[in-house]
Amino acid sequence: MKRRKITALLASAIMVGSLLAGCAGAAPAADAAAPAADSGEEAAASAEEAPAAAAEAGSNSLTVWAWDANFNIPALKAAEADYKANVDPDFTLNIVEQSQSSDIENAITLAGSSGDYSQLPDIVLFQDHFIQRYVADYPDAFVDVNDAEVDWTDFGEEKLSYSTIDGKHYGFPVDNGTCIFAYRVDLLEEAGYTIDDMTDCTWEKFIEVGEAVYEKTGKYLLSMDGDGNDLFYLMLQAEGLSQFKDGKPYITENETLVQIVNIIHEMCEKNVCYLANDWGDYTDQTIIGDMVAGVMNGNWIIPTIRQVAENSGKWEITNMPTINGGGGYAANGGSSLYVTGNCKDTDLAKKFLAATFGGSVETYDNALRDGGVVTCCISAGQSDVYNEGVEYFNNTPIYAQIVEMGGHVPVIEQNDFHYTARQYMAAAMININNGADVMTELKNAEDQLIFEMEGAAQ
Amino acid sequence: MKKKGKSIQAKQQRAGWIYLTPATLLIFVMSFYPIIQALITSFRTGPSSRMKWASPLTWNYTRMFQDKLFMRSVGNTFLYLIVQVPIMLILAMILAQILNNKDLKFKGFFRTCVFLPCAVSLVSYSLIFKSLFATQGLMNHILTSIGILKENYNFLGNPGSAKAIIIIALLWRWTGYNMVFYLAGLQGIEYSVYEAAKIDGANSWQTFWRITVPLLKPTIIMTFIMSINGTLQLFDESVNLTSGGPANSTITMSHYIYNNSFGVGVANFGYASALSFFVFILVAILAAINMKVGDTRD
Repeated sequence: MKRRKITALLASAIMVGSLLAGCAGAAPAADAAAPAADSGEEAAASAEEAPAAAAEAGSNSLTVWAWDANFNIPALKAAEADYKANVDPDFTLNIVEQSQSSDIENAITLAGSSGDYSQLPDIVLFQDHFIQRYVADYPDAFVDVNDAEVDWTDFGEEKLSYSTIDGKHYGFPVDNGTCIFAYRVDLLEEAGYTIDDMTDCTWEKFIEVGEAVYEKTGKYLLSMDGDGNDLFYLMLQAEGLSQFKDGKPYITENETLVQIVNIIHEMCEKNVCYLANDWGDYTDQTIIGDMVAGVMNGNWIIPTIRQVAENSGKWEITNMPTINGGGGYAANGGSSLYVTGNCKDTDLAKKFLAATFGGSVETYDNALRDGGVVTCCISAGQSDVYNEGVEYFNNTPIYAQIVEMGGHVPVIEQNDFHYTARQYMAAAMININNGADVMTELKNAEDQLIFEMEGAAQ
Repeated sequence: MKKKGKSIQAKQQRAGWIYLTPATLLIFVMSFYPIIQALITSFRTGPSSRMKWASPLTWNYTRMFQDKLFMRSVGNTFLYLIVQVPIMLILAMILAQILNNKDLKFKGFFRTCVFLPCAVSLVSYSLIFKSLFATQGLMNHILTSIGILKENYNFLGNPGSAKAIIIIALLWRWTGYNMVFYLAGLQGIEYSVYEAAKIDGANSWQTFWRITVPLLKPTIIMTFIMSINGTLQLFDESVNLTSGGPANSTITMSHYIYNNSFGVGVANFGYASALSFFVFILVAILAAINMKVGDTRD
């Protein structure tokens, strides 16, 4: 009995003690506030110290969010090293890796919805196709960089068209999304063709070659992610057209697009093109799994192609086929760096970006070497590194080739609903391949797209 | 004396309320407040940084009935519900009956085996099913090598088979979970009741329908409500196993709601909230019907 009492006493003593400790923790803070009020200087000093931890960016460091450890992040590291070596040796760039581009989009959405931008970094990497709508919807999330000391005319016009909003520059282009068509030269040869047959060819000729290649080697001449199908966009851009016209979907009345849908359908039927279930299947199963004799996509797909070491030296690149022949050029899915509304030191951010991605040969050379990031800065693309032959691609100077092709990419009408359109067109294509009527499916896709665009406009 | 008794009761009541307060406050702040906010949001439109009242106010609600894709997601969800829930509950009942057999050996082992899938995270099991049924996956390998399939079949690339895979995955994941409820219910039934029935000459079929089912009724209703509720809110499988594809043929309501808030493009929170309330009302109606049907009290 007695022991129990003692235990209870002890327990309550501990509880009281911890309560007191809790108070004690809070007390000095209150105490500290009182004298601070007396001497204004002290208060200011401590107030300045407190946020300094969160915003070390004040002096000479910047925080950037980016994705893709094999591509964009080496480019950012190259830029940091360049700036350190040539401008400010004390500069640090704090690169925070995100698992995918949508992480950054969601962060902006959340910040914009709550009106609290304080969690955003100084600079973000952002997908080109999304930026226009994000700037329109969350105008406080980004600041324009129009007054940065950059020769904007030195960049590819098509690339800049994404990050220029209401005539103001918002972004610094990082990579160059120019589309390449890479072919396995050895497999083409087996089927009796060469890379020169593919250059400037028509889709009709392409299908003929594709059938021969599949028959001889069992490999598809083209593959794409069937769920996020970029073929329509790329093939249409190569014709100089878009899925949008005057801000409205341009699908069922777009004869060229209908023709393209029919070509894709024919390619799928004849085992020329393989539509994978999703992006992972597209890269891992079709490209790394060595199912294809050709890859067509933005040149950022090159690191994926190169993962199959035993095919080194068997690939070469050229331009895309078109409906009437004569070389097609398109671009797909690049990104740019944007200064956020939460940036602590916009001048430093602009200075850093201008001195690196604004046209520094050193940055772009190392970005290419370490990450395979091809610039769309015309003068930087003429350096020696770009003109070196690449062993994997049969010692051809593919990077110079890509920069050259980038100059031919037509500027087409862009729309904030690019990815929405892609989603519905991809769904239509799957249904068409499963036997549905082409025009009905395209009408469905168009209706759904219009429905969604109206919803956002309300 | 009377006065004192009252005050004790009042004291006890007050103590009860004090004990309840923290939980009540937390539930209000963490659940009810967001629900009310979502209801308000569902009457608004526009980009989330500067939302405005919809005109007319019910615009988001009327819009969803013209949304073919949302209607398709409703259809998909109900298909899963109608096909999967009965199969799952019947299977769970059969398994529970087997495991409740007094003569069964290694009961604990089998019970663990059946229940184990519930311990697996929804995302990881979805991804495992995805790789199992991939075109170059294990299932295709097995089926072709034993000669059922001639060549690899793209299970997740065809609308019909993709739906079937989702249903199979759901069965695998949730049957054991429901089985445990039935097993607990069965163990609560006195064995003497069965003995009495046996003496009266009832066969096992009659015993099942006349004794087990009526006595398990509360459990059965509970599992029904939980399964309906869970299926209507199905999300992980649709997102991770098929990404709603091919061509949105497996997309669920919750997945579509997510797509409207964080999926392709910019947040459409107003519309997404309205869709959520549609699901909320559906769940409420179905649960009410279920309880009404199952209620045998006078």
